[in-house]
Parts: sequence; C-alpha cells; structure tokens
Amino acid sequence: MEFKDYYKTLGVARGASPDEVRKAYRKLARKYHPDVSKEPDAQLRMRDVNEANDVLRDEEKRAAYDALADRVAAGGKQADDGFQPPPGWDEGFEFHQGPDARPAGDAEFSEFFSSVFGDAARRAASEKGYRARGEDHHAAIEISLEDAILGAERQITLRALDREAEGRAAVVNRTLSVKIPAGVRPGQYIRLAGYGMPGRGGEPAGDLYLEVRIAPHPLYRVQGLDLTMDLPVTPSEAALGAKVHVPLPGGGVVEVTVPPNSHAGRKLRVRDRGLHGKPPGHLVLLVQIALPPAQTEAARKAYQALAQAAPLNPRQHWPGVQT
Amino acid sequence: MTRMTATLTTLTLVSMDSPLDAGALANACGATHEWVVQAMALGIVQAQSDPATPQGWHFFSQDLQRAREARRLEQDLGVELDIAALILELQLEVRRLKAVLAANGH
Repeated sequence: MEFKDYYKTLGVARGASPDEVRKAYRKLARKYHPDVSKEPDAQLRMRDVNEANDVLRDEEKRAAYDALADRVAAGGKQADDGFQPPPGWDEGFEFHQGPDARPAGDAEFSEFFSSVFGDAARRAASEKGYRARGEDHHAAIEISLEDAILGAERQITLRALDREAEGRAAVVNRTLSVKIPAGVRPGQYIRLAGYGMPGRGGEPAGDLYLEVRIAPHPLYRVQGLDLTMDLPVTPSEAALGAKVHVPLPGGGVVEVTVPPNSHAGRKLRVRDRGLHGKPPGHLVLLVQIALPPAQTEAARKAYQALAQAAPLNPRQHWPGVQT
Repeated sequence: MTRMTATLTTLTLVSMDSPLDAGALANACGATHEWVVQAMALGIVQAQSDPATPQGWHFFSQDLQRAREARRLEQDLGVELDIAALILELQLEVRRLKAVLAANGH
C-alpha cells in the first residue's frame, strides 16, 4: 500500500486554508469530472481528487492525516511491503460519522483511505460504546450483455477491513459468489443484506449494493433498455430491399426485412428484442452501406453501368459546387 | 496486508418485487429520513406508490442512483440540495445526449 500525499493531489500547500482547499477541489473537479473531461484517465484522477478532498476538507481527518504524515516523514522510508499506518497513530483524534462524511469503506476510495480512516473511525466508535447499524457499502459489478440477459453466476472480490489477532487493521479481499438473475438491467442495484460495514455495539451490519454495469459489446450498444447495432448491407440490398439474418444478444437469429431504397443511417426496429423490462426494449438496427470494392474489371464495369443507369449527384445541394 | 475469504451468498434485485423503503434508501446513500423527504420534494427521487405518506414510499434502482449522485454533489462540492438537483439534471442530460450520439455510431 502506498502512502498518499493528499496535498499534492489537490495542489495545495500544507497550510492551505479551507477556502483554498475548496477552490482547488472545484478547479480539479471541473478538469477531471468524467462527464465533462477530455482527459483519458479522468475517472481515476477524479477518484483521487475526491478522496483527497474528503480528508482535507474535514477538520478531524485532516488533523489526523497531518499527524500521520509527520510520523511517516520522521520514520524514513516505507517498509518493503509498502506503507502501514503505525500502531496508535490516531491516538488523541476523534472521528465523527457526520451527515456529510463518506463511508470509510467507500469502494471508490483507495486501500490507503479505507485502511487509515476506516479503522480509526471504527476504533473511535467502539471505544465510546457507540451503537449503530453498519453503513451500507457500494460497489459496481460489470457483466457482459449476455450475462445480463441470460443470468450468470459470478465471483466478485471486494475490499473490506478486518482486524488481525494483534489488533492491527488488515485489508481483506472478500470474494463473494453471486447469482445474477436473468434480465438484470444497467444501473439496477443488487442488494446483499448484511454484507456492508459491520455494526457497532451489537447492531446489525449494513447492506452491500452492487450497481450493475454492462461491459462494452463488440456488436451491441446499450441505451436505456434499447440495444443498437450497425447493420451493414450492400448497395444492392439497400436499393432493392433484402431479407437479412441478425444475431440476437441472448442467442438465436431473427430475419429482418430491409425495405427498398434504404439509406445509410436508416433505423430498423426489431420490437421487444432489447433488454428485459416492462415494456421491454427494442433492438435498433442502424443501416450502413458496405461498398463492394471495384477491384476487378467486371466490378468496375458494373459500377460504370450503375452510374449511367441511375445517375446521381449527392452533392447537388452544395452552394457553388457543380459536380 | 491482504487476506482472502470466499463466501457463497444470495441476493435480491432492487425491483418492483423488492423495492426500497424510505429508510433503506436513506441508509443506502448515508443520509437521514428527512433528507429523503427533501429529495422527494425536489424531484430527485420519485416514490412509485402512495406518495402521500413517507411510510408508503417505494423506491427503485433509478432513485438510488440519483440519490447517491445528489449526495456526492452535496458532499464534494459543498452545495445545497436544490443546487445539487439542478446539477444532477444537467449531468443526466449530458449523459443522455452522449448516449444518443453513441447509439447513432458517433
């Protein structure tokens, strides 16, 4: 595990004021927010920025982090197996789970964050005899489109905190074998009761929520419950009409009629062949014209004959252009 | 230090058959019951059944997703919930337009 320099991540000095931290965060959020950023690693950078902000904007966490950073700096280089928080590093600090705090086990944060702040918050709570239901935990699960339609059994590995015999916090990779039901949709949540953060003072554990994400597919693109796929056809199929066979994402094939005089970009809809739902989504076929190459004399003559038989100037509406 | 444990487990899909009540939604996004009431008033989440009383509210995956996004915006940007609701709407519109472009092969 690597020690994280949160000040460096936000680009602020150690003594930065809360206002400076907030301004630095907002500037970086505009740069790296995945919805607006053009940076290739925006999602990863945003996670780091969010994590640094979570610690530095919180007075308690920031004070404890500063103390930890001082101890690390005084202790020289990291151990061979990376950074481990020294025992008792957080003595004298209090951690409150306020309404604006992220769960210490937030799966979107790093192992460093979970290990340092998750354990400290839990120890502080247990020392006070605090009773509370465990926090819910969130993670994402990416499955193939076929698995979403047909269902599947999948193993997922989650990062969680556990305590070793000597009392030191350990990050545990907890592997769960989960049966994904058929017909699950992107953005839907799977709930695993009792697999969230442990409860305090005998209270029950929280729940684990897995957000379903569909992995990119070579043929189909997911939009809501609809699936879109390109349908390549030849010029003669597009012009004259044709019946073509189209593979379905759940298996099987459906025959589709391409109407005569179909142009590139025309959408053909195969009803109810998208993702499950009430009502179900559709399979949308986007017509694309695939040109046969004019590599033989016969092909070239055929194109010339076509040009004479069906003359067309597709640029006739361009201003100032004659041919 | 990393260790491994393996468990076989069962799950429920947040759906019409197993919706979330207001308390579960609040827990799932680290919020209070009052926060859910406020999110309902701002249209961030929309209960699918008996909207008159919070006890009868049922929420689905889309509500949880929107509630979590709103919580993140509140926490990360330090904005009020009504501003978070506005950002959320704009964010969703950007995503919808991007999805339309992607579906049309752009």
